[in-house]
Amino acid sequence: MKLQLLDTIEWANISQSIETEFGEGISKKLLGDLTPIAITERDIRTIYLIPLSWMSVVLEEVPAGFDFHLVGKQLGVMTKDRFRLSLQILPDMLKLTTKVLIVSRRGAEAFTYGRSILKESIVWYDPELKRGQRVLVVNEDNDCLGIAALSTDAERINRLSQDSLVGKNLVDIGWFIRRLG
Amino acid sequence: MSRKELREKAKILAKEHGYLPYMIERYLVLWGEKETLQFLEACEKPLRTSIRVNTLRADQEVVIKRMKGKKIILERIPWLDSGFYGDFTETSTPGAFLEHMLGFYYVQGVPSMTTVQVLDPQPNETVFDLAAAPGGKTTHIAQQMHNTGRVLAIEQDRQRLNSLESNILRCGVTNAIVYRGDAKKIQALNIQPDKILLDAPCSGEGLIPLDPTRKTSKTMADVHYCATRENEMLDAAISTLAPEGTIVYSTCSIAPEENEYIVDSILKKYPEIKIVPIPLDFGSAGYTEPFGVHLDESLRLARRFLPHQDGTEGFFICKMIKEAA
Repeated sequence: MKLQLLDTIEWANISQSIETEFGEGISKKLLGDLTPIAITERDIRTIYLIPLSWMSVVLEEVPAGFDFHLVGKQLGVMTKDRFRLSLQILPDMLKLTTKVLIVSRRGAEAFTYGRSILKESIVWYDPELKRGQRVLVVNEDNDCLGIAALSTDAERINRLSQDSLVGKNLVDIGWFIRRLG
Repeated sequence: MSRKELREKAKILAKEHGYLPYMIERYLVLWGEKETLQFLEACEKPLRTSIRVNTLRADQEVVIKRMKGKKIILERIPWLDSGFYGDFTETSTPGAFLEHMLGFYYVQGVPSMTTVQVLDPQPNETVFDLAAAPGGKTTHIAQQMHNTGRVLAIEQDRQRLNSLESNILRCGVTNAIVYRGDAKKIQALNIQPDKILLDAPCSGEGLIPLDPTRKTSKTMADVHYCATRENEMLDAAISTLAPEGTIVYSTCSIAPEENEYIVDSILKKYPEIKIVPIPLDFGSAGYTEPFGVHLDESLRLARRFLPHQDGTEGFFICKMIKEAA
């Protein structure tokens, strides 16, 4: 796997993708004093944030028989069409954004089993949210459980029936368990 | 007991308890009949479930309170900073709880947690974790270092890298560099770490209480094969370690050939390597004369976990330092 520094254009695209969904200035805060790099495998680029002091180690030629697999804090994955945030970064994101959907205990449990969010599970939401918007899904203990895509404008949620779909599950922390079978 | 009597006794016990006879024969020579029977009995008992609270994701008190709310009472393990026993028999498996998915804890055996506590990694150090998957020790090292410095985790197996990656992400570890590669060739990385943890891939003879198939799945040739690989890995690790650095060598085998014999040969090859005492109160002393073979006296400073004495899986832990030239 190849490790590369990110050029400014790619970082700008990723920043824009994050900020369009979750609010202005967030990518800068996530970056802090770290540097973005990418590990490329086929057409997937996994984006990591690393301290500057690691540069000499990670940018050196990797000896034969060794390959980088993961480096530092995982920000997300860039595929052909879009950038997807990593589950690892979500607790950091939660401190920076109001684009959240708070769900009941039952809704939270279903969500971590890969299910989507129905109206009956909703406890709180930002009334400004729009259809298609990515939101962090949070339980009543303020734990971030994953990301959902809103299937309706927030202002219409009140008019929906209890069993209507409100948020489509895009990724949830149950993946950690499901991935390992 | 004569050799013939010993063989006969071993054959009977092996049949009775479902082991390969060579294993029982070795236990009888190593421990005598009374202790062998205690060992065989202990291996039939389930081990207590233990977890490590991951302070990178949550405070201990928060986790204790939340688990109590789910009817799981956590009981502190005396010599461990973050280790707890938990009784999950009346509930879901420990891996199914939300707090586990959130990375608030790692389900981990007591000896595994102990190896990292023995290594005692400090903030801002550079630490190698060799044969690192599935990542229990890598994430524990990062926790002890408060996500500062660097943990270089090396793993060769592609499938096992996935579990290592998952656990690193779940536990919020951000100071890890994971390499896929052969731990026997780490000198090529050209990095001299302050500390190394080598929990070497082994025959797993200590895991019988967790995996009864181990009673019959490995021959003596397998033990020798593992011992050769362990020797090569420890040799490579010692060569890479910085002067005044610390290395912890461990296995989940109870065979002296994979433990004390390996360390003894390293002590002979590298005079600058010394075994140091482990300032934690657990287990029993390493062997200095297993099967009548005289080994370095300092091996008594190594520690062993044994199912019949400690109620854990069998394990060996040895802490060494590399003296400056």
